[in-house]
Amino acid sequence: MMIDRFFGNDRLDDAIHGQTALVAARWILILSGLFLALWAPGPVEELRTQIFFILALAVVNFYLHAQLLKRRPVVASLAYASSAADIAVITAIVISQGGVSSSIFNFYFPAMLVISVAFPTLAAFTFAGSVVAIYGAVGAFSGTASAAGFEDGTVVLTRLIMLAAVAVCGNLYWRIERDRRRAAMEARDELAMEIADAAAASDAFTNSVPAIKERS
Amino acid sequence: MLSFRGAAQEAAEDVFFGQVVVIWARWFIIAAGAVLVLWTATGATQLSVAILPVLILMGMNFYIHGRYFVERPVSQPVLILTALVDVAVITLMVLFWSEQKGLDSPFFVLYYPLLLAFAFVMPRPITVAFTSIVLAAYLGVVVTVDVLSASSMGDLFFNDPTELKRLVLRVITLSSVGALGSYYWRMQRESMRRAIGGSGDHASGGTASEAVVAAGGR
Repeated sequence: MMIDRFFGNDRLDDAIHGQTALVAARWILILSGLFLALWAPGPVEELRTQIFFILALAVVNFYLHAQLLKRRPVVASLAYASSAADIAVITAIVISQGGVSSSIFNFYFPAMLVISVAFPTLAAFTFAGSVVAIYGAVGAFSGTASAAGFEDGTVVLTRLIMLAAVAVCGNLYWRIERDRRRAAMEARDELAMEIADAAAASDAFTNSVPAIKERS
Repeated sequence: MLSFRGAAQEAAEDVFFGQVVVIWARWFIIAAGAVLVLWTATGATQLSVAILPVLILMGMNFYIHGRYFVERPVSQPVLILTALVDVAVITLMVLFWSEQKGLDSPFFVLYYPLLLAFAFVMPRPITVAFTSIVLAAYLGVVVTVDVLSASSMGDLFFNDPTELKRLVLRVITLSSVGALGSYYWRMQRESMRRAIGGSGDHASGGTASEAVVAAGGR
């Protein structure tokens, strides 16, 4: 309840659009993750961990997809938890593959994109800030103190700036579209009221005609 | 008051309101490019040459952002042209900058916000074409650098499953960012048509253009 108030979407429409994008992005993550895990797999322990996490995400995503297909209201806390799980899974695989050297960090980008359009600004930036902090920490702990470490630091910083860019641009677009839609709906309502007023005035005039005729 | 609101008008509104997203994406790219160039340059000549593309992007973005501030945003063709300049600059950085070129270059991440911002603003066919151009440019550079640096056929990256996997992962994530951006754009269009009282098809009448212009849209 509290999480709903803190992060709450002010319109169900926004929430449903965002959730649809989130579910689609998670299917991409699951399918491509599975494909890449099975293609030229690493050690069996690593593969086992990857497949376990990917299948767990698939089950959760199937449930969320079913909710959307049935047009049931989105449970905010579950949506936040599943997005946090996406980030956790990507981070776990990045760490298991050596941190900065892992290519799996690329999955942060579609994940960040959908989080930025699925949730309101405060929640989206909380997620984005967490991802930047977590990946920054991964970079700091997996880099070395040598010249190569300095190079790694620059590379990590660039990746962090790009992750922030995706989150900011996504949420900026979300806000622009929300404002446009609200303005359009207000204009529609105003027009409907004008039409109703005009119709009422017309009815009043029509009703007054027999009275005029009677008098004449 | 009722007016016909066709695809052309919707596209114009998308460019009008959405181009600030492209502008901000470019500022982030400029910031990241400047960080990489300033921190990794090893000589004055190298730095002065490498900073030029960043300065070109900055000049271009100052112009577009300035026009946006005075409510005279650039048109769709200009926006497409500047996005192509972005792609060219990033691709040149992937091709030439530092010891790490081609597949080893860290600059490919600059494509992500660019693809996303473009997908949010442009209609789907243009986004598909743009995403294809970005992928073709990146793959072209990776293959070129690999062929030029390989001493034999066995050294080529597609003979190494790990390298090939790395490239496929990047292609998947780059294309999924473009696709998801375009998917969300399409949902927003349908939502807007519903909001103004249409059924979701193009021919629905409405007053959205007046409404959004009246509201200032920002």
